[in-house]
Amino acid sequence: MQMRTKLILSIALAAFVAACGQGTSTPADKAEAGVVNLYTARHYDSDRALYDRFTEQTGIRVNIIEGNADQLIARMGSEGSASPADVFITADAGALWRAQNANLLQPTSSATLNDAIPANLRDPQGRWFGLNRRARIIAYDSTKVQPSEIDTYEDIASPRFRGRLCVRSADSVYNLSLVGALIEAWGPEKTAEWTRGVVANMARPPEGGDRDQIRAVNAGVCEIALTNSYYFIRMANGEDAADRAVTEKVKLAFPSLAGQGAHINVSGGGVAANAPNRENGVRLLEFLASPEAQTAVSAGNNEFPGNPAVPVPAPTNAYADFTAHPMSVATYGPRQAKAQSLMSAAGWR
Amino acid sequence: MRLLAWLAAAVAIAPLIGVVAAAFGEGRADIAASDLIRYALTSVALAVMVALATAVLGSVSAWLVVMHRFPGRSVFAWALALPLAAPAFALAYGYADLFDVAGDLRTWMRAVPGIDWGPQMRSLPGAAFVLSMAFYPYVYLTVRAALVNQSSQAIEAARSLGCSPTQALFRVGLPLLRPALAAGVALAVMETLADFGAVQFLSVQTLTTGVVRSWLVYGSLESAARLALPLLAAAAVLLWIERLSRKGRTDEAARARWRPIQPTLLKGGRGVMAFAFCLGLLTLGLLLPVGWLAFNAIDIDPDWGRLARAAGHSLGLGLGGAVATVILATCLALSAERMPVTARISSLGYATPGAVMAIGLLAPASLVWQGVPGAVSGLGVGLMLLIYAYAARLMAAALEPVEAGLTRVTPSMVAAARTLGRGETGAALSVRLPIASGALLTATLVVFIDVVKELPATLILRPFNVDTLAVIADNYARDERLPNAGWPSLMIVALTLPAVIWLTRKITASRPGDTHGHA
Repeated sequence: MQMRTKLILSIALAAFVAACGQGTSTPADKAEAGVVNLYTARHYDSDRALYDRFTEQTGIRVNIIEGNADQLIARMGSEGSASPADVFITADAGALWRAQNANLLQPTSSATLNDAIPANLRDPQGRWFGLNRRARIIAYDSTKVQPSEIDTYEDIASPRFRGRLCVRSADSVYNLSLVGALIEAWGPEKTAEWTRGVVANMARPPEGGDRDQIRAVNAGVCEIALTNSYYFIRMANGEDAADRAVTEKVKLAFPSLAGQGAHINVSGGGVAANAPNRENGVRLLEFLASPEAQTAVSAGNNEFPGNPAVPVPAPTNAYADFTAHPMSVATYGPRQAKAQSLMSAAGWR
Repeated sequence: MRLLAWLAAAVAIAPLIGVVAAAFGEGRADIAASDLIRYALTSVALAVMVALATAVLGSVSAWLVVMHRFPGRSVFAWALALPLAAPAFALAYGYADLFDVAGDLRTWMRAVPGIDWGPQMRSLPGAAFVLSMAFYPYVYLTVRAALVNQSSQAIEAARSLGCSPTQALFRVGLPLLRPALAAGVALAVMETLADFGAVQFLSVQTLTTGVVRSWLVYGSLESAARLALPLLAAAAVLLWIERLSRKGRTDEAARARWRPIQPTLLKGGRGVMAFAFCLGLLTLGLLLPVGWLAFNAIDIDPDWGRLARAAGHSLGLGLGGAVATVILATCLALSAERMPVTARISSLGYATPGAVMAIGLLAPASLVWQGVPGAVSGLGVGLMLLIYAYAARLMAAALEPVEAGLTRVTPSMVAAARTLGRGETGAALSVRLPIASGALLTATLVVFIDVVKELPATLILRPFNVDTLAVIADNYARDERLPNAGWPSLMIVALTLPAVIWLTRKITASRPGDTHGHA
């Protein structure tokens, strides 16, 4: 037994050493050019293809750590001035604000980026740029609900939909950003009233993600649901026949906030505060704002391009004809804590 | 030797100090007291439900398998531990999707038999069910080991004094099993407290939710750490219970006159019932949820190259983490008589929620990242940090079997070695460790299984371009692409299954007086 244990332990050690050695690309020194270190909370396979394309074009190698936004923010904070991160990318302006608020991003003054990305989709100081847009809107059961009944965000909380609304948890940053935008548009009192209406309308306690809400509408659990646009578009055009069937009955409506258009959000990125390869970081962001990358992301992930000059590719173009609220997405983050408190007080779990 | 023991203790305790230190900071999060109370009550309810369910399921199945003969018994004896191979989050994905109100099964049920009902998995009872299925094997294994080691004499004596088999079980058998039962349940509850992935996926808000909210939404690490303190305290209490339950567990007396238990033959209907119970448990704990994930993954054609690399990383980190943790745990165990409190505190990481541990781990990691030039982007340092994190989280899992193995070494054996001129370290190397070698292997396998399933520390500390299977599964699940999460989850099961099978067969072979058995 003793021999066997020794043998197994030495095999284990050998395998470990081998596994250590097999790291495909070892991150380079700070001094070495031709590298950009990316911390990203987006992990779509189409994004990876895009980074390969960037390397092809520029010769700059992309080192990646994927994670969720909050863990990456915590990690960058702990790494402090030694952080190797050059670029931080995540979904939701609220999450970008968390990074900004933790002093993890630095201002970038790139004419290319400023030209490509409209002012309301980026941080006024250039610490982050919204690269792709999504709308947070309503999926509804077209057999029970008239589109005219869900023209506004107020309608979601109206007595018409008592016990007929599906929505995910208040922990979701998408909901926090939406309520942040409502606070900006309406002020805290009306927003508090609205959150109470939403809770009264819930068909079930919040559970699951946005896709689950859309499916629940189809299953008859509720008549309307809050969702991000790309989840619906992906279901309507995906490979899963059952998902496509859902979107025969469930349709998408773009309500208007204060008569100015639907609530939109972004996924985007910024240059890290202590970026060792700052120039390469800016180049990566510029590449992601280019028509080629914008088209590829939209085609792969069904978000709308952040750059208004870029035509929306199919199938997302079928949903692109809506009015987006011109509010700056940078206003959401600072209202996040207030939003959480209002939702929590209303009983939105 | 002593130096290494202190090092091991420092490794395990540093993250906890990080949390406690942060708790004394200034920051404040505006979380309503009523919410906090609700989180705390949910945590308690979840722990109690899992404790009860695992206690009943684990001990009944162990009692059936050890004390009876029925069809399939020899297979169930090891197969019932197999759910250990599947991470709790994989069971959560499987069950949530299977019974989702808009899922394939419920949609079909509404359409064909016209039944609109199904268990609500995304709820407190649902989460308790999923975690019980994932963790009952801890109770099963400890109780079964105790039953196997227990002499049949006590039960026979009770029978000869006029007890019925049931009376003998309740008046003699169960009291004798209490320590093993408590130890197994404590393990299951510690895992429950430490879990975040499964509970979060099932939309149940516990104290960990409060920790994450105050940390991220309100940006207050300090108040997050303060919320973490009761969780640490709960972990400490559980460890204490687990310890207490072993006091006086000297099976020396029983061992001296040990005779194998004569299993009762279950005939006819009772045999079928025993068979059905075991099969049902195995089905609910592994076959159904994992099978459902597999069924959904069939249509997916994943990036095999990436999955293979991730499997390599999981395997390498699992082995590296296991070896490092067991070495440190062994040093601790060898010095445990002299520093019992330190050894206990070192185990706390095991029952600490992943999100809390992440706060704690970032403190020492931050020292390394900022203090060692080039450390942040170095692959080697990154992997060392990860292995360090595994050691800190899983020290208890290794310490447990190693200490149990070392108790087989009597003081007189060590004294003999010392008389023959060996030093403390020499005696440890030439006498104590060889005798406990089986236990060291057990500990290595246990930690390996846990590392391959590990999520929070891997997510937050891993170096560039290093993904594990668990990380990929989590990424897909967060993107709401559950079918894609199937393959990496299945590969985790495939990777850990051999280790689980080996572990559980060792217990079958273990008998008092058998020097190879240490389970």
